[in-house]
Amino acid sequence: MTQTHIEPTVRSRIIELSVNGERHEIAVKPRNTLVEVLREKIGLTGTKEGCEQGACGVCTVLLDGRPVLSCLTLAIECDGRSVLTVEGLAHGDQLSPIQQAFLDQGAVQCGYCTAGMLMSATALLERNPKPSLPEIKKALEGNICRCTGYNAIVAAVQQASGQGVEPVMR
Amino acid sequence: MILEDFEYQSAESLSEAAALLARFGPGARIMGGGTDLLPNMRLEIVRPTTIIGLRSIGAEPPRVTPEGGLRIDALTTLATIAHSELILTKVPMLAESARVVGSNQVREMGTLAGNLCQDTRCLQLNQKHDYQFKAPCFKRGGECCYPFPNNRPGICWSVHMSDIAPALIALSAELVTVRAAGGRRLAVEELFSGDGMRPICLEPDEIIREVVTPPLPKNFGWGYHKSSRRGGFEYGMAVFAVALSLEASLRTCAEARIVIGAIRERPVRARAAERALIGQPIDDALIASTVASAIEEAKPLQHHGFTRSYLIDTIRVYLRRTLVRAVERGRELSSTT
Repeated sequence: MTQTHIEPTVRSRIIELSVNGERHEIAVKPRNTLVEVLREKIGLTGTKEGCEQGACGVCTVLLDGRPVLSCLTLAIECDGRSVLTVEGLAHGDQLSPIQQAFLDQGAVQCGYCTAGMLMSATALLERNPKPSLPEIKKALEGNICRCTGYNAIVAAVQQASGQGVEPVMR
Repeated sequence: MILEDFEYQSAESLSEAAALLARFGPGARIMGGGTDLLPNMRLEIVRPTTIIGLRSIGAEPPRVTPEGGLRIDALTTLATIAHSELILTKVPMLAESARVVGSNQVREMGTLAGNLCQDTRCLQLNQKHDYQFKAPCFKRGGECCYPFPNNRPGICWSVHMSDIAPALIALSAELVTVRAAGGRRLAVEELFSGDGMRPICLEPDEIIREVVTPPLPKNFGWGYHKSSRRGGFEYGMAVFAVALSLEASLRTCAEARIVIGAIRERPVRARAAERALIGQPIDDALIASTVASAIEEAKPLQHHGFTRSYLIDTIRVYLRRTLVRAVERGRELSSTT
């Protein structure tokens, strides 16, 4: 009978992560990114993977309140920190104002950029409740969209911030 | 996903990080925000066996030096720099150069030293097309160059794309480094080798600790412009940073620094153009001849789909506008003091 030899590999470490207010203890290898951990280990697939290079923004989440690219964040560096994903925006059945505004403005087509857009918009409105048009565009600079042409998305941020834009889809 | 395993160590101080770099040898890399390192790891341009994370080391807030300049911690995020009241008031060109980097997310993650130490880039280098794996280019350890097939072995014309380096060089800023054998103080300009194969002149176990800007000279004017296709979330076509000190008459220049980034393997100082500006009454003709001199010195490399002639046209237009803006600021700001 042949002996099997298990090659030594890099050890996993246990990290503690708060995601949308829930504590998780997860075993991660150094090379596991936050987006992989969110999607594959915790099962929250709202956050998307796109370019894996930091060039698209679909993986945007809020890490300790700040918008970051989860594809370029090592999970092992998130020990003890808190993450907000798109799944954490609604309260039960109640959509957040920005989520409702995206629906009201027709700002979702294929939907792939949407989670990242919502997270960047949420971070913007938390710090700047009445952003100007240039401020909105600068805040959403890191999220690209192939479908909508961006106008509906910007209008959604204006609606959600109560700046005189009315819903068009209802 | 990142395909290869690596060890991870978290450093609690820069001197610990420098010691870890020395201990883990040539396969070790430090990581600040990871926005340059991790994409290059996915492309297998760099394959560290150990990553030394710096994020546990907090960055001290920017502060005024005894000489009246600014000290900015190397690990300060670009978002902090872009929004810092102190930097916006005292050295607004630095805040502007940080504001135009990447995107919000990249600015929240990325660090000042990371922006300076980013690797050089090239369209054919920074992608996953299988030709780079079958027949890698010089920078990837191979035997050819795709955009410049006539280059001799080891000659790499990849471009240094930092938006902040040109501003710091124009400001005559310096870096302070940490190393077990003793750190040093050097001009930001000296960080860059001009060699696309090994663009950054730091020892393998040397880490930047802080950036220091000197007090601004009298009648100081600045201009900064990042030329790009769509005005956001991209690397520059060319980056212009101009710093001037006008004479008391406000009609001539006492000192000038003209720096063009994102056109060569290192930011380029147009020294002959700087000399041309000094002592002459500033008018359209002087600006035009300064720009012409800068174009000759800059010798832009075609990069990322931009031809040399397009880049030369870009320099002709935007360097002129940047110089004009710097002169205007020198006149405006001195009239308000």
